[in-house]
Amino acid sequence: MAVTAKFFAGFREATEKKQASIEGVNDVTSLLDELVSRFGKKLAERLYSSDTRELRKTVNILVNGRRLDFLQGLNTPLKDGALVAIFPPVAGG
Amino acid sequence: MIINGFGKTGQRKLKAAHVVVAGIGGLGSPASSYLATAGVGHLTIIDSQRAKLSNLNRQMLHWGPDVGRLKVESATEKLTTMNSNIKVDAIFEQITSENVNRLTKGVDVVVDGMDNYHTRYLLNEACVRNRVPFIHGAVEGLVGQLMTILPGGGPCLKCAIPKEPPKKPLFPVLGATPGVIGCLQAMEAIKLITGVGKPLVGRMLIFNGMDMTFDEIKVNQDPSCQVCGRQGR
Ligand SMILES: [Zn+2]
Repeated sequence: MAVTAKFFAGFREATEKKQASIEGVNDVTSLLDELVSRFGKKLAERLYSSDTRELRKTVNILVNGRRLDFLQGLNTPLKDGALVAIFPPVAGG
Repeated sequence: MIINGFGKTGQRKLKAAHVVVAGIGGLGSPASSYLATAGVGHLTIIDSQRAKLSNLNRQMLHWGPDVGRLKVESATEKLTTMNSNIKVDAIFEQITSENVNRLTKGVDVVVDGMDNYHTRYLLNEACVRNRVPFIHGAVEGLVGQLMTILPGGGPCLKCAIPKEPPKKPLFPVLGATPGVIGCLQAMEAIKLITGVGKPLVGRMLIFNGMDMTFDEIKVNQDPSCQVCGRQGR
């Protein structure tokens, strides 16, 4: 099974890729782990805060166009063929 | 306008339209300018700030001599000079949960010119409740995002961005970035008013000036969304 991760704005700069096809992951956490092992420190720094190792609040993830479930969060399961968009919402005006 | 689909009927629709531009800064300046010159008959501009020197790189309606003036006052002056046939209402107020309903009810379109998610979420909720299309825009650096919220016709801002990104003390913005996004917001508003084209509903546009790309992120409505979802109402 494979899922597609799509990178936008700063995440594209960190990965130098528009998207990546990832095999063998079954939820969002395992996908992010795999992406970090593939793309390294630059991506890890954008995803996780350095002290708490929690996902930064600047990271927004949509799975098949749907926001992560409030209850499941990063444990949201990924099915074969899932599209996962990762982007940093901007706030200024 | 002699573009296909606009014509006299389109121009009349614009003349009869009432658009609220919430925030008259980097996004609101270009958005309201293009709405004014397109002939939108009634613009309400809302802002609670005075023009600062640091605003001038991107907030094109406020010029050097306007520093210290109310932004709504400075903007009204320019907009009515651009087009003297339109009505511009200036509202010098901060948008709050108390007044957001009154400020958005019954209008044709609300344009997001805010610089924070707290107020954006208030506008998003009021627009969904009052069934008013809401054109979200936001910028930082060379990155911008855009999404049109059509109540009852697609996802809302909370469906796309459920949690407020952390507040930063400072947003460095290249002036041209809100120029791009603000113009696109005006275009979306004009399309909705005239019924021309296909609005940016259910998709978020991400503009990245760094590599000069425009991308779309598909956004689906979340049935459990507390603002627009079935279970939320
Ligand atoms: Zn929603």
